[in-house]
Amino acid sequence: MPLDTSTYALAHLRLDGRRWSELRRIHGQISTQAAADGSAYFEQGNTKILCTVTGPQEPKRGVEVEMNVAAFSGMDRKKRARGDKRVQEMQYTIASAFQSTIFTHLYPHSTITLNLHVLSQDGSLLACALNAATLALIDAGMPMSDYVSACTVASAPSSDQTLDEQDPLLDLNGLEEQELPFLTVGTSGEEGKVLVLLMETRVQVARLEAMVSVGLDGCRQIRGILDGVVREHGRKVLESRVS
Amino acid sequence: MIFISHVSAEEQPCSSQALQTLYDPKIWVTNQSGMDLSEAALGNLRFTVATVWVKSKRRQAAAAFPQKLVDGRQTVHTKGGKYNAHAPTGLAFSRETFAKLTPGPFLQAHLQQPEPIRPNGRSLHAFRTPTIHTGSLSHSNGSAVVRLGDTAVVCGVRAEILLAADIPHPPSEDTSEDDLVERLGLLVPNVELSTGCSPDHLPGNPPSTSAQALSYRVLSLMHTSNLIRPGDLSIQYMEPASDDDLPDEGPKTVTKAFWTLYIDVLCIALDGNPFDAAWAAVISALKSTRLPRAWWDPDREMVLCSPLANETHGLRLDDIPVASTFDVFSTGSALKQRSEAESWVLADPDGFEEGVCTETATVVVRSEDGDAGGITRLEKSGGGAIGKAAMGRCVHMAQQRWREWQGVLHGG
Repeated sequence: MPLDTSTYALAHLRLDGRRWSELRRIHGQISTQAAADGSAYFEQGNTKILCTVTGPQEPKRGVEVEMNVAAFSGMDRKKRARGDKRVQEMQYTIASAFQSTIFTHLYPHSTITLNLHVLSQDGSLLACALNAATLALIDAGMPMSDYVSACTVASAPSSDQTLDEQDPLLDLNGLEEQELPFLTVGTSGEEGKVLVLLMETRVQVARLEAMVSVGLDGCRQIRGILDGVVREHGRKVLESRVS
Repeated sequence: MIFISHVSAEEQPCSSQALQTLYDPKIWVTNQSGMDLSEAALGNLRFTVATVWVKSKRRQAAAAFPQKLVDGRQTVHTKGGKYNAHAPTGLAFSRETFAKLTPGPFLQAHLQQPEPIRPNGRSLHAFRTPTIHTGSLSHSNGSAVVRLGDTAVVCGVRAEILLAADIPHPPSEDTSEDDLVERLGLLVPNVELSTGCSPDHLPGNPPSTSAQALSYRVLSLMHTSNLIRPGDLSIQYMEPASDDDLPDEGPKTVTKAFWTLYIDVLCIALDGNPFDAAWAAVISALKSTRLPRAWWDPDREMVLCSPLANETHGLRLDDIPVASTFDVFSTGSALKQRSEAESWVLADPDGFEEGVCTETATVVVRSEDGDAGGITRLEKSGGGAIGKAAMGRCVHMAQQRWREWQGVLHGG
């Protein structure tokens, strides 16, 4: 089994060799498409998402999100039907998260469209989508109150009663998401104001607080990474202008 | 997977010298005004709309347009034809606005130069250089990302097993190998354009006719060029010798299952010429496809696969056809004599040119005796401007393109 509790208790290493608080390999790039107003490519381990922003356009619909899950992205090849409810729910969650962050009062009577292309799924889909959308919006120059960063947290794998020894797991991959109860938390700002919290599995209430606090810390780390990507891009642009 | 942030030289605006001659108002206006726009033709191009409207809507201009415009027209004529840069003589538009208002004449003005040049800075027969990255998607058996200028396309190949026992009408013994792939439907391409790649292809809509046509063209090209051999896709099993066999018969090899390749092409950004980009993505992804080692287990009566990466095998693609698309811009219309119409063949059209041109031709070329030669496919539709000679030139350009692609496909 992927999370054989006995091996985890031995060395406290997950299947891919990470410890409980380690994030996966995160890579982000902005301005990947010249034709779009803003674009970004974000990878969190094997979850790869491309995001483009177009707008503002008439008519007034606020922030619109379209998520396109490629047929080759998951473990099985599956062509998503139109109006897939799970995708629609994710679209709505992302749209409402950004509705509160973007200064939409500066763009009255307009629609800002976010197009997310999921090229590969390996866990933390919603979190990765929120991070990719943040980078794309910053590339488009949209005024926002702060970065929106998100990550997933799972409750500790062992069902042992002693809670103080168990650490929640940060940033899950696909296998861990199938096995463990987890939640996705999305925050905005350095102080970690929670914008999105989504949990669809059952967990003991006593573990919830620890999970959320680990999630907030993980989001802070991811925020630092997103900031680094944006600053690196800015530095390159400045260097190419000056020279 | 790394994207190269794309600011190519071809997208830089033309030099001011080119622009100056480009927007010579003598193209638009009859000789009466004799305007000299030399001082106005700076980096940001200005085009006085007053002159356009004077030519085309003489009667309506005075009534429909604001007084300022009419005064400007009078000023232009009375002051001896010299453009007065100080008085606000009318609306002046930038190059981008001119392109939006009258795209046809905009393109025509570029092409009628002594040295024809296209609005994106390329010459008539210049193709965009492709950038290809393969093998970046972990869940797919093969993947490729192709960027052709601003057109970006992602292709993923997934292999699934089709048991021979599940085939409703198995092909007879005398079906040739070439037809087997087509009969069994072992290659399933799908080109997805409704991804928000351009304002014409908004997500959530069913595939448009052009998207469906693209999928079909890719499929028929794969079949007619015999791109994949059925031997690469079959899982065979050598039956052990039994007592029923005749003594001089060797062990029989039976095909127990086939690999079906689902080739999904997702268009991320569209700036013209989706077919070339999609075809390039398909062949790059197929070249990088690794299929696991599979065998038929007679005890469990199912196909088993090895999970080891070093036991995978690729597909044999020796002779890769390369596609080149051309658009034709023609000034012909129903009101004009055909002999008066001028036409230009544009190689690898971008989004703007595709919107203006109606006629298109695609040539697919593969190798013949080691060099470019064999024509695999010729398609042409939308008009009559390309004749025999022009088609020959297109084929020649396609062969040149084939040579360029060999370096990209086999080197990258």
